[in-house]
Amino acid sequence: MRNKPTPPEIEIVGLCKSFAGLRALDQVSTSFRAGRLHALLGENGAGKSTLVKCLMGYYRADSGQILVDGQRHIMRHPSDAHALGLGMVYQHFTLVPQMTVAENFLLGRQSLPAVIDWRAEHSALDQFMEGMPFRLDPRRLVASLAAGEKQKLEILKQLYLGRRFLVLDEPTSVLTPAEADEVLAEMRRLADARQLSVVFITHKLREVMQFAQDVTVLRAGMVAARTAVTATSETGLASLMFGAELAEQKAAAPTRTAMPEQAAYLELEGLHAVGDRGAPAVVGASLSIRPGEIVGIAGVSGNGQKELLEILAGQRQAQAGSVRVGGRAFRGTRGELERWGVSLLLEEPLLNAAVRSMSVMENLALRQFDRPPLAIAGWILKRRALWPFAQALIQRYGIRASSPSAPLETLSGGNVQRTVLARELARPVRLLLMQNPCFGLDVAAASEIRQQILRVRNGGAAVLLISEDLDEVLQLSDRVLVMASGRISYETDRSHADRYVIGRHMTQARARPSP
Amino acid sequence: MTGTFDLGWWGVALAIVAGAMRVSTPYLLVSLGETLTEKSGRVNLGLEGTLVLGAMSAFAIAYLTGSPWLGMLSAGAAGAALGLLHAAISNLPRVNDIAVGIALFIFGIGLAFFLGKPFIEPRATMLPGIPLGNWSASPAIRSAFEISPMFFLGIALAIALEWGLKSTRWGLILRIAGESADAARAIGLSVERIRTFATMAGGFLSGLGGGFLSLYYPGNWNEGLSSGQGLMAIALVIFARWSPLRCFYASLLFGGASAIGPAVQTVGITEGYYLFNAAPYVLTLGLLIYSSSRTRTLAGAPSELSISR
Amino acid sequence: MQEPQPTKLAARGAGSLLGRTWSPRGGSLSTDSLESLLLSLIAIAVAALIFGAFLALQGHDPLAVYRTLYLGAFGTRFSLESTLTQAAPLLLTALCTLIPARVGLLVIGGEGAVVLGGLAAALAGVALAGAADLVGTVLTLAAGALAGGLWIGAAGALKHFRGVNETISTLLLNYIAIALLNHLVSGPIRDFSQTLKAQSWSIPKAFMIGNMPGWSVHWGLLIGLVGCVILNVLLRHTTLGFAMDVLGGNRRAAQMAGLPLGRLILLATFLGGAAAGLAGAVEVVAVHGAASESLVVGLGYAGILVAFLARQNALAVIAVALLLGGISASGGLLQRRFDIPHAATTVLQGLIFLCVLASGTFAGRLLPRRSAQ
Repeated sequence: MRNKPTPPEIEIVGLCKSFAGLRALDQVSTSFRAGRLHALLGENGAGKSTLVKCLMGYYRADSGQILVDGQRHIMRHPSDAHALGLGMVYQHFTLVPQMTVAENFLLGRQSLPAVIDWRAEHSALDQFMEGMPFRLDPRRLVASLAAGEKQKLEILKQLYLGRRFLVLDEPTSVLTPAEADEVLAEMRRLADARQLSVVFITHKLREVMQFAQDVTVLRAGMVAARTAVTATSETGLASLMFGAELAEQKAAAPTRTAMPEQAAYLELEGLHAVGDRGAPAVVGASLSIRPGEIVGIAGVSGNGQKELLEILAGQRQAQAGSVRVGGRAFRGTRGELERWGVSLLLEEPLLNAAVRSMSVMENLALRQFDRPPLAIAGWILKRRALWPFAQALIQRYGIRASSPSAPLETLSGGNVQRTVLARELARPVRLLLMQNPCFGLDVAAASEIRQQILRVRNGGAAVLLISEDLDEVLQLSDRVLVMASGRISYETDRSHADRYVIGRHMTQARARPSP
Repeated sequence: MTGTFDLGWWGVALAIVAGAMRVSTPYLLVSLGETLTEKSGRVNLGLEGTLVLGAMSAFAIAYLTGSPWLGMLSAGAAGAALGLLHAAISNLPRVNDIAVGIALFIFGIGLAFFLGKPFIEPRATMLPGIPLGNWSASPAIRSAFEISPMFFLGIALAIALEWGLKSTRWGLILRIAGESADAARAIGLSVERIRTFATMAGGFLSGLGGGFLSLYYPGNWNEGLSSGQGLMAIALVIFARWSPLRCFYASLLFGGASAIGPAVQTVGITEGYYLFNAAPYVLTLGLLIYSSSRTRTLAGAPSELSISR
Repeated sequence: MQEPQPTKLAARGAGSLLGRTWSPRGGSLSTDSLESLLLSLIAIAVAALIFGAFLALQGHDPLAVYRTLYLGAFGTRFSLESTLTQAAPLLLTALCTLIPARVGLLVIGGEGAVVLGGLAAALAGVALAGAADLVGTVLTLAAGALAGGLWIGAAGALKHFRGVNETISTLLLNYIAIALLNHLVSGPIRDFSQTLKAQSWSIPKAFMIGNMPGWSVHWGLLIGLVGCVILNVLLRHTTLGFAMDVLGGNRRAAQMAGLPLGRLILLATFLGGAAAGLAGAVEVVAVHGAASESLVVGLGYAGILVAFLARQNALAVIAVALLLGGISASGGLLQRRFDIPHAATTVLQGLIFLCVLASGTFAGRLLPRRSAQ
């Protein structure tokens, strides 16, 4: 176990790593100086996660060197990294929800006593937190913590275990702008006080410019640039991340046609629903969406957005309130979905909207299998008609699959989303409900989907976009709502949307545990 | 149970209490074992087969060696072996532990009857009981309060496990495997190893429960020995919300329910014998319905458990 | 393919009610049938090897035993008839696990449904005494099917409306059904003129169904075969079957597609129970003539094994039922020739089941799968 008082200095030389023939890292060299806040920037799939996981011993690099304080080390396992004082806070939490904060702290320790004296441990933890930037009650159940508190707990855990070099993987993705600023400011403070070296992975240029001192930009597995933050700007970083042409494309505002005012197509009134563990998730939510309008709901994950959309998707029962589509009560039956032209683009389609073990053509047929040309009299299924039906959609939407009869799970994430998109949009759409449609996709696929969304909106459909990516919400929506603690707490339109005001409203209501 | 006829309905009450202590012991042992297994994130539905195989092993070894304690040990060993088999197959990716449990149920019973055929006739040395009722002159009370040491072992285990799950390192490690396999792997634990040990421990205890059946009460070996006690223990664990101490209370309850049938027979009520036998199953089903909810996961269920999803 | 992307599920922590990564239905049917078949065959071969070793340890010659097994199952006309007789009820009880598996439920209540089906058939037969022969037979069989259907359907209702785990509930219902049978047959509906064993009143002889022409196998075999074929058509070629596949494949996808979950679950469990109930009714109407503990011979449990071995495919059930029927049929011969207890067949069945389950881990990896770009 490392016991030097100063934080380590890490140098990476010529690291290479491939997965199944695809190069994730190609001769990556960079250095993380001691006591500094270093940003690792790049879009989805650029190799940022792979790089730090090689550093942490989670993966074994194919070739290259890792030097800690000038000494070469081979990282075979995370425990090798831990022994050198390196720690990582993963993008998905490694906390155990049904255990207490204290238990989660203890779990990471190298040596636990056979019998645990909880009173002693609790007071030791209380003492530890005295000197820390964030404070939590050790007796609380992790499931009762808000997302921001969980993030802070993850960081505290690393400090508790004596780690002096921290890697934070997209630490602010589940935080409000204000919380994100708080966490990054604290990290910067600890680095400046020579207590930590910090590397944080992000794709948010604003954070890099505001808090980081050094930045390494990765693109397609290679180092596109290494520079001090003072020597660059947001536009400079953007062109390094995407290459000049793509940066322009990303910055170009998509076209939006003016829409006449019409009666609301989707109306939610006083919806109440309960979450998975029994706590209230949606509390009196009301909103309305007109045809030809995109309404975006911004909010930190865990404030009821998921449950709200599940109600609309028929995956959750509302306790009270009403849902009306086209002026009529909506229960989500198959007939209603058809009659009102309702389409859904849910996050993580393999989990929520498609059947992984069924073939591509069967998945494409999900909305139409009980109607001609695929069915006779609504009862008999014409399996032979599936293939040409699917083939047409595959070509039109550019889905890359070995054949229509290939199981859906053999497709890449982007192609699964394309399959669901094809299925949902290849019929007259009058109401489009979406949740985090671009999560985990690379920039090309994501902008494709956003183009489709605008096309649908310009065609007169009412669109509901629920997203944890504030940038996405701001880019696409005509109106922006904020959901916090299960309530719709704020509304503004496109021209008056201010990121920080919205962010404040994201935490306006009482701090509420995530379900 | 001679002499209870004189006591009339008091005899019935006595029989139920004594029966509760007696009959609850296998439930207690099996449910404690299954609690450990499920706390680690795995369901073992094969406990019925383990119980029967344990019963047969105990009887056979006790008969062959003359020592009931060796018999109990071998029952535990047999149970642990089946537990190992369960874990080995369930640890393979994409294999469902519920189905493996059903397969082991069939396999265990088949193996027990196959190897146990020569032991149906002979009589093995029984486990001794602790005579706690010797203060009384009535033979009925004496026999009612002759309690097996396994019962006390069960109580001790229940208390020890309840404390141990919260306040020992092993308890913490066991629980993390059952709550979040991802988190466990993140700190370098082998979830498969933890679950293997937990399933083997569960099998060991279930084997002991089976040994109790053949070497104490009812104290013989035949093909109708167990009637679903292993499976009811699964429901018992759910009812007890995965708490070892509550398993003890629930086992007493189930034991009492099972004892109603034979107890009532002693006062001459012979009709509905089979219906009384159905009482524990109906009780279990009722409790299961009561504690389940359409929208919520079962309270206290380890998050990795496949039946609570 | 890039490095695996993090999923939101992990981001939110485990413990939500999302779909399982394992479905009782097994892998995709249209594309993986060849692989499924191969895996099942390999599993049976491995189980046979292990069983052979087990026998050798006991001092028997495995090859001789297997030869006798074959003889007792398919070797002579008599053994073939025994096999078909043993296989007949399995064709139907397997459906009690298979049909609910298609909607993602793991039901093991075949035993209870068989018992109730037999009970209901016996009671109906007695109550209908005097009706025309064919009418009586048909109604008696229908009563058995209805009773079984309602029994398992109740478990389906408990699952859908109350979230009660169907594996445990159907298991408990098995024992409750058996207790009910024992109670009724030993008293309230007992035919006291029969002294050999406790049994219910007998149904009119006219209602009983005999053997198929030229064979010593009752018509129940045909009923079972027809049942499997009809079911296969239902599952593969109707929109109802497709909807069931979707539900079994991913519950949340079925919800967002607007499929009627409750109706599908109730229908699937009812049909499964009806099939097993029909098997019990056939036992009464074709074999015993009355309800008794002869209904409790493990038909339900064997059906579970058939369903798993057939990888939840209704046509494969026919082949598998023949195989397992053959093993059962040769039990008597094994006992006589080698002094091997009848439980040996149970051991073999358990081994096969375990090997089949273990082989499931190779699904998708045995044959090279053409993966997409």
